[in-house]
Amino acid sequence: MEKEALKLQLKQQIIQFLNLVSMKPEDIKDDEPLFGEGLGLDSIDSLELIVLLQREYGINIQDPKEGRKILVDVNTMVDYIEKNRTK
Amino acid sequence: MLYIHHTSCISPQKTYGGEALSFDKNSVDGKLLSIEPDYSGIPINILRRMGKAVRMGVGAALPLLKPGQPNGIIFGTAIGGMEDCIKFLNQIVQYEEGMLTPGNFVQSTPNAVASQIGLMTKNTGYNITHVHRGLAFEMALLDAMMMCEEKPDAEWLVGGVDEISAYNYNIERLGGWYKTADASSENLFTSATPGSIAGEGAAMFRVSGKGTNAIAAIEAVETIHTKEIIELSDRWKEFLDLHFGKESPELIISGDNGDSRIVPFYKAIQETTPAGADILRFKQFSGEFPTATGFALWLAVSINKLNSLPDSAFISRRGIASYRNAVIYNNYKGEQHSFILVQLP
Repeated sequence: MEKEALKLQLKQQIIQFLNLVSMKPEDIKDDEPLFGEGLGLDSIDSLELIVLLQREYGINIQDPKEGRKILVDVNTMVDYIEKNRTK
Repeated sequence: MLYIHHTSCISPQKTYGGEALSFDKNSVDGKLLSIEPDYSGIPINILRRMGKAVRMGVGAALPLLKPGQPNGIIFGTAIGGMEDCIKFLNQIVQYEEGMLTPGNFVQSTPNAVASQIGLMTKNTGYNITHVHRGLAFEMALLDAMMMCEEKPDAEWLVGGVDEISAYNYNIERLGGWYKTADASSENLFTSATPGSIAGEGAAMFRVSGKGTNAIAAIEAVETIHTKEIIELSDRWKEFLDLHFGKESPELIISGDNGDSRIVPFYKAIQETTPAGADILRFKQFSGEFPTATGFALWLAVSINKLNSLPDSAFISRRGIASYRNAVIYNNYKGEQHSFILVQLP
């Protein structure tokens, strides 16, 4: 899958998993921080994103420090998915 | 005596907020779904995680919290956030008992509504949820009455909520509690078939033990478990004798749900009531759900301000301009009964 297509798919999954009902994929910028000032997600959302990676891409994140580096924005998530996906 | 000072109701009819109230919405496919407001008082990041029951409960509660914090939150729900509960259970299977997401679990427990209100408003007082099926709301009222007796100056938020979830609707329908071929609020009382129509809603009340500026008062709540019509009739007669003597209540609010198996209970109540009471049915507006008496109580408290109630909702109507009292009788699944006596100023 091409990188841009993967980004779009991931944004759709983020919206679905986090129930961001009023958002569309184009509302989420590739380099917009997921937590804090950007999308404004919180710690419960980070668990939802970890489950998303596990379920949709077969990626298990065991180390919380590793999670902090991956769940920065859509770009960092896509980079990690491309390198580590098992499905 | 429990005095009601403010009330709020989200239901399938236009009963919420300052808009013109109306009672003209009919069921679709045997369901009366609530008209939900935009929930502008709930932060968007909290709202997006809320299931329908939690949304409705918190949404109905928020207007009643404006006068200040109550001393506690007393709540009744039979099924709570069933939709989220089922999503969570399905995830256990889908993820093969692996890592689960917390969102659905947090929202799935019956006490999610009262606790969410407590968390949002930083209310650390008494916070309890009663889950006694068709008497859950009545149990919350009884709890509040005892609290008001103990601490008359304290104020309490009392409410009830239940939602139609896909899972619960299907189970109840298979159990024969919802009509199949002729399921409609328009012919609810003429269908003569088993089952009713599904409903949902949230009703909230700000109450205390002090009568100053009260809009209504609950004088008595009685609950009965029986499948015997004779036992019900006897208890009804005793209740009326105790509170009205030889007089008749001015208004009976009947929870008749059009279920041919349950209708005989309502007929028995009607036949043993002294002549002179107006009788109003409400399940064609709210649908059937375990805490529908919350809607009935809102109706009783609001009755003297409601101009939009159709005549067809009354079995008998003498044209009283302003009711001074009302008694709600409700029957859940033919075995859980309640009488609620409301005094109106």
